[in-house]
Amino acid sequence: MIDYIRWVYQWFKGEILAIPGRVIAVVFFTFLLLLPLITTSPSTLRFLIMACIFAIFAASWDLLAVTGQVSLGHALFFGSAGYTAALINIHFGLPAWITIPLGGLSAVVVGLLAGIPALRLRGFYLSLVTLAYPVILTGIIFVFPDFFGGEMGLIGISRLSGSRVGDYYTVVLIMAFSGFIMWKLSDAGSKVLRTGVVFHAIREDEIAARNSGINTVRYKLMAYAFSGFFGGVAGGLYIHFIRIAGPSSLEVFFSVQALLWAVFGGMGTIYGAIVGVFILFPLTEYLRIYEWGEALRFVIVSLVLIFILLFMPEGISVWVLDKIEIRCRRCKVVNIATRRNCRTCRAPLRLEREK
Amino acid sequence: MYLEVNGITVLYDRAMVLNDVSFHVDKGELVSLVGPNGAGKSTLLRALAGLIRWEKDTLKGTTLGKITLEGSVLFGGEEMMRLPSHDIAKRGLILCPERGRPFREMTVLENLEAGAYLVKDKGVVKETIDRVYGLFPVLDKRRGQVSGTLSGGERTMLSIARALMSQARFLLIDEPSVGLAPLVKEDLFSRINQVHGMGITILLSEQDIGFAFDLATRNYVMSRGKVIAEGRADDLLADELIRKTYLGL
Repeated sequence: MIDYIRWVYQWFKGEILAIPGRVIAVVFFTFLLLLPLITTSPSTLRFLIMACIFAIFAASWDLLAVTGQVSLGHALFFGSAGYTAALINIHFGLPAWITIPLGGLSAVVVGLLAGIPALRLRGFYLSLVTLAYPVILTGIIFVFPDFFGGEMGLIGISRLSGSRVGDYYTVVLIMAFSGFIMWKLSDAGSKVLRTGVVFHAIREDEIAARNSGINTVRYKLMAYAFSGFFGGVAGGLYIHFIRIAGPSSLEVFFSVQALLWAVFGGMGTIYGAIVGVFILFPLTEYLRIYEWGEALRFVIVSLVLIFILLFMPEGISVWVLDKIEIRCRRCKVVNIATRRNCRTCRAPLRLEREK
Repeated sequence: MYLEVNGITVLYDRAMVLNDVSFHVDKGELVSLVGPNGAGKSTLLRALAGLIRWEKDTLKGTTLGKITLEGSVLFGGEEMMRLPSHDIAKRGLILCPERGRPFREMTVLENLEAGAYLVKDKGVVKETIDRVYGLFPVLDKRRGQVSGTLSGGERTMLSIARALMSQARFLLIDEPSVGLAPLVKEDLFSRINQVHGMGITILLSEQDIGFAFDLATRNYVMSRGKVIAEGRADDLLADELIRKTYLGL
């Protein structure tokens, strides 16, 4: 038992405490978990629940971007899963913990269908095609107003859980868990999963990836499936939280927002997308308090975005990590930037210039 | 001295590419830089053309942007390190990049016209095009062809021709002979000699020692970011240590 505790402590010290980025992630997550002890004000919780849902959504967009496919219609997954979950919930009376995964699975199917054009199109052309997807879905919804609720949307959806605090914990835990899974899926340094390396290789050079024996068709569809699933989970959580499934979640602007959040935080990193949402979404909502903010908030947020990206072109999280972390040149272990020698191999982290 | 380079140092993050490099080229000379892969030859030429500075500016704020650039480059008595690369080209110091790098979707003629961007007088442009075609008859034959379809040797010639179009006074040629067949190499050899004969000063980097030493009037040997020897071909080849360690002959 003592040995076990010691092992856990050693693991925590080596894998979390020694790496500044992970310390920040753990502190932030702990803060989210402890927050209801400080305040249970419904507006604060509501606002953080939304942020968590959008964080899953932005991260799922980023998972697709890791393979070099910039989607401008990511709301497709969000919306289709939302409608699926809502319909199942209303017609069959199934609870949220069944409808949300089912919604995610429906988004996987939609994702695989949406992924077919991606096998032939690249870059801008692909982005343009993805722009059309949510528009098509909106069209379908308006064709069958009785079934899909038309402009008003579907109402009468059951709650996520019994209370606001319950909703909050559900969403925070799902956000942390799915964020971790998506990060692992896209992490090129992972020792367990190979998908990260493969996704990065496809983004860098698809021809070289094929020549290395990677079935790029399979992995691209896989990226669509995973991205669709997590985007769908976000959509399912959203409709169960606001308890209405309407066409507003399929708007072009909503898709573009996923892109803005992820690019602002750091594209292709997953955690960057989450950071982006937790900075930009509160800012947008905070400005609403003021009378002038309601009209001007997107102008202000856009200006912030432009100025930050001017100084930190790779996104805010990449920029910050670059300042606080330093990677050992010999053993590739990440160290805190204040160290002079690598914590595992003792190699000097900075070289004095020879004169 | 026409070109005077003093203590150029380039670091990519923590990797030192050029370490306090100093040398000079006089007017009308044809000087070669030789050395193994990774010696810093291409980086040196890129630094002279102002491209390292440009790279540093455009990548500012990214993880790749931690570039250190120090030293001074005097060209015709004027400091080049503070100038942006297009102004350096305006002074007549033109880089022919490795493998030519033509504008691939443009025809040969369009490439040459793009090279003449700095020349305002249309008569001069036309005259220079004729002169360049006289120097490289192959390009005349290919004038309407999209330059992405040219062979390696033709691309190198096109890049030299493009540099001549902008009234170059000093050519920096990066590895002209890379990837060329022996016969094409010989042809290119005489073309570069002809260009030199037109009164243009040339600094070329090269891995083919024979090619460089036959062509150049003076040579610099580079290794691991430093200039380690200087001299005429015979002197360098006479030095046992340099011949064995750096030239591999």
